Amino acid sequence: MKITEDGEPYGLITNIQKYTIHDGPGIRTEIFFKGCPLRCIWCSNPEGQSYEQQIGIYPSKCIGLSKCSLCINSCPRGTDTPIKTEDDRLLSLQEIPECKNCFRCAEECPSRAIMIWGKKMSVPELMKVILEDRNFYLKTGGGVTLSGGEVMLQWEFAALLLKACRDASIHTCVESSLYCPTEHMEKVYEATDLVITDIKHMDTERHKEYTGVGNELILKNIKRTAELKKPLVIRIPVVPDHNNSEKNIRATGEFIRDVLGNHVIQLQLIPFRKIGTEKYATLNLPYPMGDFSPPERSVWEKNLLRLTEIMKEYNIPAVAGSSQKMC
Amino acid sequence: MLARELTYHNAVKVEPLPVEPFDKEWGVGISGNTPEPSPFPRINRILSKTVKTTNGFVSPDRAILVTEAYKKNPGAPQIIKCAEGMANVLRNTPIYIYDDELIVGGLGCDKKGTPVFPEFGLNWVVDEMRDGLMDYSEERTHDYFSFSKETQDKLESIRDFWNGNTIEDYANSILTDDELKGSHAGKGVFFADAYILCGAGHLGIGYDRLFKLGFKGIRKLILDHMENVDKSLPDGIKKYTFLRAELIVNEAATDHIMRYADLTKEKAGSEEDKTRKKELLQIHKNLKWISRNPPRTFWEAIQMVHLANCMVHIECNGHSISYGRFDQYMYPFYKQDIANGTSTREFMQELIENFYIKIWDLNKLRSHILIKTFGNGGIGGQALTVGGITKDGKDATNELTYMALDAHVHIRIPTPWLAVRLHAGTPWELKVKTVNTIRVGTGEPKIFNDDVTIPSMLSSNVEVKDARDYQVVGCVEPDATGKSYGWKDCGHMNMAKVLELAINDGRCINCGPECMRWQKCGAIGERLGVATGSLENFETFDEVLEAYDRQMKYWCDRHVSVLNAVDIAHQQLKPLPYLSSLMEGCIENGKDITMGGVKYNFSGPQGVAIGTTGDGLATIRQLVFEEKRISGKELLDAVRDNWVGHEPLYAYVNSEKVHHYGNDDDYADELTKFAMDTWCKHIEKRPNTRGGFYQPGAYSVTVNVAFGLKQWASVEGRKAFEPVSDCMGAVHTHCGSHDISGPTAICRSVTKLDHARATNGTLLNWKFSPTSLTGNTGRDSFIALIDEYIQRKGMHSQFTVANQETLIEAQKNPDEYRDLLVRVAGYSAYFVELSKELQDDIIGRTVLSFD
Ligand code: SF4
Ligand code: SF4
Repeated sequence: MKITEDGEPYGLITNIQKYTIHDGPGIRTEIFFKGCPLRCIWCSNPEGQSYEQQIGIYPSKCIGLSKCSLCINSCPRGTDTPIKTEDDRLLSLQEIPECKNCFRCAEECPSRAIMIWGKKMSVPELMKVILEDRNFYLKTGGGVTLSGGEVMLQWEFAALLLKACRDASIHTCVESSLYCPTEHMEKVYEATDLVITDIKHMDTERHKEYTGVGNELILKNIKRTAELKKPLVIRIPVVPDHNNSEKNIRATGEFIRDVLGNHVIQLQLIPFRKIGTEKYATLNLPYPMGDFSPPERSVWEKNLLRLTEIMKEYNIPAVAGSSQKMC
Repeated sequence: MLARELTYHNAVKVEPLPVEPFDKEWGVGISGNTPEPSPFPRINRILSKTVKTTNGFVSPDRAILVTEAYKKNPGAPQIIKCAEGMANVLRNTPIYIYDDELIVGGLGCDKKGTPVFPEFGLNWVVDEMRDGLMDYSEERTHDYFSFSKETQDKLESIRDFWNGNTIEDYANSILTDDELKGSHAGKGVFFADAYILCGAGHLGIGYDRLFKLGFKGIRKLILDHMENVDKSLPDGIKKYTFLRAELIVNEAATDHIMRYADLTKEKAGSEEDKTRKKELLQIHKNLKWISRNPPRTFWEAIQMVHLANCMVHIECNGHSISYGRFDQYMYPFYKQDIANGTSTREFMQELIENFYIKIWDLNKLRSHILIKTFGNGGIGGQALTVGGITKDGKDATNELTYMALDAHVHIRIPTPWLAVRLHAGTPWELKVKTVNTIRVGTGEPKIFNDDVTIPSMLSSNVEVKDARDYQVVGCVEPDATGKSYGWKDCGHMNMAKVLELAINDGRCINCGPECMRWQKCGAIGERLGVATGSLENFETFDEVLEAYDRQMKYWCDRHVSVLNAVDIAHQQLKPLPYLSSLMEGCIENGKDITMGGVKYNFSGPQGVAIGTTGDGLATIRQLVFEEKRISGKELLDAVRDNWVGHEPLYAYVNSEKVHHYGNDDDYADELTKFAMDTWCKHIEKRPNTRGGFYQPGAYSVTVNVAFGLKQWASVEGRKAFEPVSDCMGAVHTHCGSHDISGPTAICRSVTKLDHARATNGTLLNWKFSPTSLTGNTGRDSFIALIDEYIQRKGMHSQFTVANQETLIEAQKNPDEYRDLLVRVAGYSAYFVELSKELQDDIIGRTVLSFD
């Protein structure tokens, strides 16, 4: 676990979102952890992938060098700065190793044309924000959801934060790929009330193709989660032409029925949407599904509903989307 | 679909049993784009013949008839002239009855027509007609009025008679430059012109009292009091004259209703359809009865509500003549009609829907300037309140509460303006019904919080039983129904302009020869406001706060002077005898309502730009006095230069690096509270001319756009002429929204302000994208958000549900979005009919999107 100079443990957080209503019951505050071992090609939060602070670039927000230039002037590398400009505007910033300990340009930029993805936050700092909305949790059975990125990468910090929430009587939920050592997961579970996880594909080869890793560890951990009797919500991010075959859906259904003993409080089939593309651009990353064009919404929604019906054949509480109450 | 099929009986048959299930869902963000929305074929037929516009035409009859009466009574006391004028209109103005309708009545002109009120000022009407500013033109793209040559000639012919004898003339003649320099006629620190060209309105007649007495009973009351007046006492003759006027209008009101009764009978005579004939005969009977007597059935009562209210409009030229607590005063009729089989739930539902559409057919003439300032037209402000607690403190919800909401969804037109009163004990079912109605996305209803409104009214010396029985009038204002003349919405103070003058030694920040007042002000070393020092020299932030406080007092003095002058003009020239007869206290006290005849007399101007001022103070404190990032002079220079050449600072003040109101950040929220409290402190409890006192409000409706157009840039990152912040909402500048932390943070920030202190009302406009409200998670989270707002003593909220893309699309292709209703502020309107600036303002409100 990382600690600050004052000895305070901290986590690397990309974002805090209040009033999330789709990731766990009720009104929740969602904490996005930075860093993820998977590389799902449909990922819509690429800023959550790297476990390091990163510079994000929004050239369109730059107000112009002739009017500002605070970034270039603050860069300690002088003329050798990695900040590239064009037509009086910020163009790009190819991070060099020195940037990691500097980020001065981002601090100076008044318009968030250069910004930092990832903020170091301690448990007390996070708890301050979390507690602000406590009344909303109480009214709706809501609470806190840790999400990512991958929570389990920062499992020690996550466990601390969850403990703090539990001590404050706040319902806790962890949304994780469960691609992690089982011991870490179990440690995190000590103060976790609800788990949300994905089954992205039942065929490990395809799983590897789409996410970079096989599915064995994940399925094992899901099974373990069920054994531990943790309330479990499973999601299938249904991506057309990738994992929406009836065969794969049925295989998932069988797994839930046979291996998890239907120990699932809700199964959500989440429609794929092409979002997050602009965030890839800010990170100088190509959007992996750039060439993919999803089918018409009307066709697609019908397909999703059909798959949901198939899941119900397995006696699974399946729903399309995430706007039906979990519990 | 047969209406009967709709009847819902839940498994255990628990109350309520309205026509629709309490949890019926109509969809999210679908607005008006549904053909035949009502389950009743008759209502859909009427709707198909209803034009969905607030445009209309000018009808000269009222103006001519009033003039005729004034000319006939040259030496009579003003109140007799007024009564005779009203009587002449009621007896002679044209009346209409339309196909299919079950409730009749109007404003003495055809649907969408508008009477003219020369008493307030006729010149502008005739001038606008002449100058092409009345009908559609580039200067007037919405809320325009057509007129015939004959109409124009008729009005032209009476122009001289009114010249110099109007409210406008009177008010102006008693004011000096010192009061006017900061007003609508000057630099726009405040606006006080709302009731110069029109009546004050903003009240509701006492329906309970009218139902008890009937016009016959009121007549008896007048005669009784006449008998008892001692004319030898100093005010005896005055009282007697007033009562004479009461008698004149009372008789005329009965005659007016009888004219409708006669016309219905005539129509029935020539009607071939048997069912319709029967209906017409029943309407005839209803009218004949209620022309004198208290109503006996739901149908008679709702007919009486409509006609009695229309006559108030015909007399007073005000808007926001509201319908009181409809579900309360109608419930005894509902219950009794069900019990004795006189009527069915379905038929009463149909009557309510018909009644709502009748309101939409009414219209009101406004000048092109007023349209620009207040944004929207139509009859305006006719609120209808449901829910809440009873006079003895119990939950008041009944079946009509639900039916009143269902009726709106069944017709989806923006009248009346629905208000649901909520309190700690509001049943879950009503919350669901309210939220499902809101989710449709027409902008209706607004919600009001009893748990803060009632204490707030008590603090204004309103008696407990009257406070608990409050209705909402117009956009925002709580009102002791039938007993109060509140002069709600009479003026507006631009707090952001006050801050500008406070930090620039009483001068406008852009002071220079282009200014309209330069010769009598800047050029001779004068200043607009009071000298309160400059940010260039302040050494501590406390000096800023003190300057703001002193500057506010100076402007409140002037604002109140102008408002008093307008009030006096109304008393002298335009007493309201008909309205007085329907308000408790006037006949009893022998005093017209304009003179303070009712029990409660208030004047309610609003503080505008709360967020802008709060963020301005936070910016100054943080950048100049704490971070010392810039000097006070640099900040003033940047604003003076409209931020040109100061782009990094402009971006910075608009970024989240500066404390901003609306993010649950105490730093900014506390200063915003200070900004608002200072306004309240200098307005509250100042005496007014009717024996009552002033009540501060905290909302802008759309005046924030108009104030913005009059103000140069400001320190929190606004460029010149952009709108200042809306109501109690956070700042949204062209550079970005200052509230970026989602709805829970908004809820908490806004409720750190002292709503109860704004005794004239507060308002928060929310905007949601449909995706954030779908499903039962969306619904129940939304209910929780409202609950928390209520619990934290937020007074009033309104909701727009439409995605931003839709709004932008609608702006581009207005023809395809004629039906798109949005919540503007205080009311809903057809989006495409709003001005470009206002559309942009609505689009700019933070979309609370989190899907
Ligand atoms: S600091 Fe930001 S706004 Fe200024 S020039 Fe650099 S990128 Fe542009
Ligand atoms: S002269 Fe200057 S201070 Fe006076 S009103 Fe004009 S701009 Fe404001």
